[in-house]
Amino acid sequence: MGEIKQFRRALLSAVCTLGFLSAGAANAANWLMLQGTESPGASARANVWGFIQAQYSKDSSSTNAAGQLVPPKLIGPNLNAQSGFNINRARIGVRGTGFPIDSHVNYFLLTEMGNNGITHGGNAFAKLTDASVTLNYIPGARIRTGLFKTPGAEEGLQAIHVFDYINFTEVSNGLLLERVPNKGFTNPNTCFTPPGVPNGCTGNVGPFTEAQLQGGASENQFNAPVSAFRDVGIQVFDAFDVGKDWELSYAGMIGNGNGIEFDNSDGEYDQYLYLSAEKQYGGKGPRAEGLKFFTWSQSGKRLLDNTDDGTDNLKSYKRDRAGLGVKYLKKPFRVTAEYITADGMIWVGPDKPNFYFTNNIAHGNGADAKANGWYLEGGWYIPNSKWELDARFDTMTRLKDRKNQHKFDKWTFGLQYHFNLKTRLTVNYEKRTFKCDSGVAPCTAPPPNTPNFNLEGVGNKVGVQLTAIF
Amino acid sequence: MLNNFRSLCLVMTSLFMVSAAVPALAADDSFADYKYVLHISDMDPSKQTLILNNASNLLQGYPPGAVEIEIVAYGPGLRLMFAENVNAQRIDSLSQSGVKFTACGNTLKAMTKQLGYEPKLNPDANVVPGGILRIGELVKQGYIYIKP
Repeated sequence: MGEIKQFRRALLSAVCTLGFLSAGAANAANWLMLQGTESPGASARANVWGFIQAQYSKDSSSTNAAGQLVPPKLIGPNLNAQSGFNINRARIGVRGTGFPIDSHVNYFLLTEMGNNGITHGGNAFAKLTDASVTLNYIPGARIRTGLFKTPGAEEGLQAIHVFDYINFTEVSNGLLLERVPNKGFTNPNTCFTPPGVPNGCTGNVGPFTEAQLQGGASENQFNAPVSAFRDVGIQVFDAFDVGKDWELSYAGMIGNGNGIEFDNSDGEYDQYLYLSAEKQYGGKGPRAEGLKFFTWSQSGKRLLDNTDDGTDNLKSYKRDRAGLGVKYLKKPFRVTAEYITADGMIWVGPDKPNFYFTNNIAHGNGADAKANGWYLEGGWYIPNSKWELDARFDTMTRLKDRKNQHKFDKWTFGLQYHFNLKTRLTVNYEKRTFKCDSGVAPCTAPPPNTPNFNLEGVGNKVGVQLTAIF
Repeated sequence: MLNNFRSLCLVMTSLFMVSAAVPALAADDSFADYKYVLHISDMDPSKQTLILNNASNLLQGYPPGAVEIEIVAYGPGLRLMFAENVNAQRIDSLSQSGVKFTACGNTLKAMTKQLGYEPKLNPDANVVPGGILRIGELVKQGYIYIKP
């Protein structure tokens, strides 16, 4: 029995046990409750809210010996420049209790208008990211349905406007922020072939020179938005005050498994399980203090034409994810650690889920491969000041035990200045070490036939981001 | 001798009268130097926090027993006194400190009609026929009226 399967079985038993508890519902600050419920007897009919994140990024990576760049050396989501300003998130939404004297029903609506994987991938000016209704009629079993964040890893589930870094960890970005593959990528009508670049439809795209990027070549060929850690489905969840300031929470969900797109073309459903236990130290809202232990699993299937042979031959691949972690927050300190493992549908390319770098690597190696990773991060809120220091190490091993196994290590050093409770400036410096490390070919092949031909030039990255919440 | 007996009877009678009167005086809190009626009828949840903060601050601002506070809720503001209200624990704590919570019966009837069932109120809330009438009575008795 696989690691993820054992994990899921244990988690399912625990979630079922917790679901039968009949303790009174708690009002603690956890992501399930914060995003899925409203304060009983005290919520607005329509509370308008949102946030803007304006960003400047500069990537100091160098080109390969042929003067070409690959996606990790470019600024996303456009992937055509190494520096630039961006409004990476601009979200506005409304939430509340439509009939305020009845707290049994609440709703949550949010749209994205920034330039990121949600809007750029979907080629949309604005995109709905959340639209859900929660029914709070059954004690111990609230029901939330619609489009919303799936119960899972802390980085994905938490409110992004209070995320302490500019970029996600490599493990969350690579394994959890799902890129939805273009199932029909071999159809020439769905491919983009920039002038003078003869590889738009078959094989991988790029790497491109700066001139080619300026001429319209695109490293990013996805035609659908990233999943944004969300799904469309139905969730049963609740939180229980079990005394001595401890709170237990659970969630079980099924969804289409197609991110924020309203589509279930494969007829399969993803299953999500989540369990957490938190010792509450005080406060409320997204910055509530506590010590939280959490574990989760996600399981689903994806259809993919992985053969790159010009014919439609879709095949179903599993996509399983699981993780466990701990978060401690009691000012002035914060520590978070999480381990994540993945089986199937390992994303390895910006254009097609085949491979990441242009070399003689066999196609299809991500669809049935494994990966894992972890991160450890900490923050120090400098007492009697508005400054905060952050540091994080994250690592991901992709295509584990395959001949083209890759390792992505990243250090992030951060400094934040809180103008007030809702406005802050974040400065991040990322030190990245990416390499193909299987010890055999193609990792050990001579340049340019090794992925390291491109990876050795991946350098450090600086970002400055202003977040304003309203 | 008779004088002594008369004096004793007078003292006993006085003591009895005082002892009988003390509970009544305590119930009315008529020793309080300051009396406030705080009014909430807003839908805005932030007003709920504000009015409870006002009550806490008033309690802290006067010596024990020197202030009497009554919070009267009607209209959408009655949600503050729902049993499920997120501030229920705080209401209970204030109630134990002497703050009175008064719920409007007219609003309760109207909400019962809208919901199809009577909303459960906080056990600390005392229902009166009309919230606005209660405010009028209290103002007439000299209460300082505050609507945050």
